[in-house]
Amino acid sequence: MLNTLATIGQFGNFAGGVATRMIRRPLFLREVIAQLWTTTIRCFLPVIAVTFPFGMVFALQGLEIFRIFGAERMLSSLISIATLRELSPVLASVLVAAQGGSSCAASLGAMRIKEELDATEVMAVDSLKYHVVPRVIAMTVACPLLNIAGSIAGVAGGYFTAVHVKGESGGIFLAELWAFMGPMDIYGGLIKTTLFGLTIGLISCYHGYRATGGAAGVGKAVNDTVVHGVVAFISLNYFLTSALFGSVAP
Amino acid sequence: MKAVSQALAGIGQYGFWVRDFCRAVVIHGPPKGQTLNEAFRIGIKSLPILLIISGFVGTNLALQGYNAFKPLGGQRLVGMFVSLAGVRELAPIIAAAMIAAKAGTEMASQIGVMKIREQVDALEVMAVNPLAYLVAPRMIGIMLMLPALTIIAIFVMLSAAYTVSVYQLGLAGHEFIQFAQESIEPIDFLYGAIKAMIFGLIICTISCFFGFNCGKGPEGVGQATNRAVVTSSVLCIILNYFLSELLYGGAL
Repeated sequence: MLNTLATIGQFGNFAGGVATRMIRRPLFLREVIAQLWTTTIRCFLPVIAVTFPFGMVFALQGLEIFRIFGAERMLSSLISIATLRELSPVLASVLVAAQGGSSCAASLGAMRIKEELDATEVMAVDSLKYHVVPRVIAMTVACPLLNIAGSIAGVAGGYFTAVHVKGESGGIFLAELWAFMGPMDIYGGLIKTTLFGLTIGLISCYHGYRATGGAAGVGKAVNDTVVHGVVAFISLNYFLTSALFGSVAP
Repeated sequence: MKAVSQALAGIGQYGFWVRDFCRAVVIHGPPKGQTLNEAFRIGIKSLPILLIISGFVGTNLALQGYNAFKPLGGQRLVGMFVSLAGVRELAPIIAAAMIAAKAGTEMASQIGVMKIREQVDALEVMAVNPLAYLVAPRMIGIMLMLPALTIIAIFVMLSAAYTVSVYQLGLAGHEFIQFAQESIEPIDFLYGAIKAMIFGLIICTISCFFGFNCGKGPEGVGQATNRAVVTSSVLCIILNYFLSELLYGGAL
């Protein structure tokens, strides 16, 4: 219990340190762009590979329910809302935590074990500023970008199953796609994923930066990163969904 | 092109590894007294996280179902939506993803560390087959625990969804329960457990495979852990579509 509280406090301290360094100059822009590029490229394929089948499953199960009511037309509008609001942000962030977050923790942890971070400090370069801030920024920007790709793939997966596997009409699917969509559905997903990306970036860098005890320590840091990252952003998700999409009883 | 050939080579290696593993288990049998330990570590240690995650997934399912059905005037259907989506799809996949993230990464990093410290070679020197000794108990443990965890996840998810729909969204509790009862059938739990067992098989073999093929030093362990969680969760979700099509798509 006490340990948990201490960890939360340390994490807050770490996040504060990163936040102040994020605002102050100099910002290592080249490092930021390099990290952003590798994170996006690495996560792109896994995100597509997860959201596409999930859209397919959604169409499969949704069609079965809607057929009971004879409302197959509604399928595509429900798929697009569910994908943009919930499925794609959550799945893309899970994959960013699993792929981007864990590789970030692994590389920072390996640097810590090999004393490369200390070497950076010795050369009078702030290691938080040079190694951690670019990674956090990269994760914060990459997460919404991947969410856009994931949303497109999710809807495409739904289209594929509904039209090509189950033989619904493609024209109706596309015509009804935007029926219930509002601007908030699109912005909401982006706002959510930006915050999720920030959370994942901070948690993964925290665990990587404080790794101790050789190779086993790096493994533990990666393990903790994925678990804590996913728990943190899924619990955040509930409050964000309530706030953004206004689901409180009148 | 190089990446494609590397991926193909990886799949081939994985196939050979699984063959070796099956052979080792048939010849040597699983070690005694390890399985319960592993089952405890996989199941009980992952339980708190699973409770938190499935609770919040349930709340969000209720919120989004309410939002989706409200324009149609069908708020009452939230109970049906939550129970169908939760029981059939989300609970098995959430439990599998959580186990991949918690127990799968742990397997990969433990075996990876043993590999680079040459403890695996030491086992072999002592005439203990490392595949049967290290992997088989984990496999049995995960295949026992994951279906149980899935059933627990279903329960927590539905309770959380009920709480949100009744106390936050102001729906009628008895309607929620009635719609839920009408849409869930007992066979759905069996299908969920079947899905979970197959996911457990995949998570265990993939994570242990990456652990055994771990590179050098701390980066090697980190990389193996990273690859284990990504590959196993992606594979589970892709396979989930085919399992759903098989179990619910009218093929049976």
